[in-house]
Amino acid sequence: MNTPLRIGVLKLADSAPVIMGQQKGIFARHGLETGVVVSPSWANIADGLAWNRLDAAVIFAPLAMMTALGRRGHDTGVRPFGRISRGGNTIMLRGTNPVAGVWKAGSRGRQAFECWRTAIGRRPRIAVVHMYSTHLLILRRFLERIDVSMENEIDLSVMPPTDMITALAENAIDGGCVGPPWGTEAEQLGLAFRVGGSATVLPGHIEKILVASGRLLSCETTARRLSAAMHEALAFCQQPGHREEITHVLAAPVADGGLTLPMEATRAILPGGDAAECLAFTGGSLLPSDLDWIISDMMALGWLDNAEHRLLMRWIGPEPADPTRACAGPL
Amino acid sequence: MRDRFAPGTRLRVLVADENPRRGRALSEALHADASLDVLTVPPGTALIDAVRDYGPDVVLVDMNRADRDALDSIRALSRSALERPVALFVDEDDVELMETAFDTGICSYNVLEALPRDVKPLLRAAIALYARFRRTRDELSEAQRVLAERGIIEQAKRCFMKNEKTSEAQAYRWLQRRAMQTSRRIVAVAEAYLAAQKKDEAS
Repeated sequence: MNTPLRIGVLKLADSAPVIMGQQKGIFARHGLETGVVVSPSWANIADGLAWNRLDAAVIFAPLAMMTALGRRGHDTGVRPFGRISRGGNTIMLRGTNPVAGVWKAGSRGRQAFECWRTAIGRRPRIAVVHMYSTHLLILRRFLERIDVSMENEIDLSVMPPTDMITALAENAIDGGCVGPPWGTEAEQLGLAFRVGGSATVLPGHIEKILVASGRLLSCETTARRLSAAMHEALAFCQQPGHREEITHVLAAPVADGGLTLPMEATRAILPGGDAAECLAFTGGSLLPSDLDWIISDMMALGWLDNAEHRLLMRWIGPEPADPTRACAGPL
Repeated sequence: MRDRFAPGTRLRVLVADENPRRGRALSEALHADASLDVLTVPPGTALIDAVRDYGPDVVLVDMNRADRDALDSIRALSRSALERPVALFVDEDDVELMETAFDTGICSYNVLEALPRDVKPLLRAAIALYARFRRTRDELSEAQRVLAERGIIEQAKRCFMKNEKTSEAQAYRWLQRRAMQTSRRIVAVAEAYLAAQKKDEAS
């Protein structure tokens, strides 16, 4: 391997396996020279994969699929490499919860929504972290459960999770669906209350996956080593006994190999934590069944047609055998 | 609606850079081209709001802007005002240009259904300017590093002079000799000396 493997992540707790893989020397032990690229936006991750600036990235499946379909302007050889995490997304609203705890499905949830909307006094502005995110799909399902139309009854906006904290504090938005630890951070800061999330809408759903560039996948040895290293890093992060160590690493500044995540909220949402929406790390290959609900929702939203659905089914499956299997470039 | 491709129509370019100095410099560089109508994102304004308000043909974005994600969704989120696609400006036959743009930290969005006339000169101007800013930034941080190191060495010298009742030249020679003996840089020796002094004072 001639050049370091560049793995893109965002400032989210789901990035822990990559961060710990680097910090604990797991990648190095598997013979990999790696560089973690902390990106400011999902667009940077998707573009980095498209324009040969990243070899792999932690990403949510809808954006990975849209990137693979060339919907962001450039065809890519990006393919799924494996699972990273399950669950962890929270739907947070500002103000006072008119009922105790999460909102129930059906008319009781609808009543809670109407009470809350009256209290905030305007058409609710709800943010998600990206249009092509699991967060948007989870939010849409949640609203459907309480008979609220995402298309007609709320104003949807897109903003980075860290900006959501500020936007909630300034009443610029009324809520959001956000990944860990940012929902819990908003709750701990007293800026918002939780009405639902992954655990109430789709318990155990696949959240983040690792995708790899065609260049990485063409180098069989590197791909095999990365697979083994990620397996070890994921197992490490899933152990509740490692929660404290992981929390400290993730809370460290980016310059020191961390992600500057808020310490208390991160501690609460890692496996073994006491948050209502904890995330779980999960290994193994991505299966079509992991993405059934995502693809079905994306089709319902008109993002995909039948031909693209068939393309994605092939995309999820194992890569076609290539007898040459030589590294396409130095890696 | 204006015909965006009619001869004489000015191309509307939105410059979205969180570094105001660099954004201003890029705007000034682009203003030199009379065929361009150059706009900037006012401080504190979200990128997506500026795109909605100004309706640019092309957006040049600083890749460090976290709100670039919102641009991905402008078509799907807009109800009527902006039913135009926003795609990363791509020139399939010039991958190298795009990769250079990414390396210098800028990307370009086309806000039209079809590509306007050649946008490459815009991107090239932005690349050149971003590269210049990066060089200046690197030079500045190098100068700051040198100054900081000089400060540490000065502090270590003063401390050594006080402790050992020596001249400045003698103190510096001691640091130099130590650096040679231990195959370390003088600044590393100076840091170690100061750290040891602090420890002694604390105990």
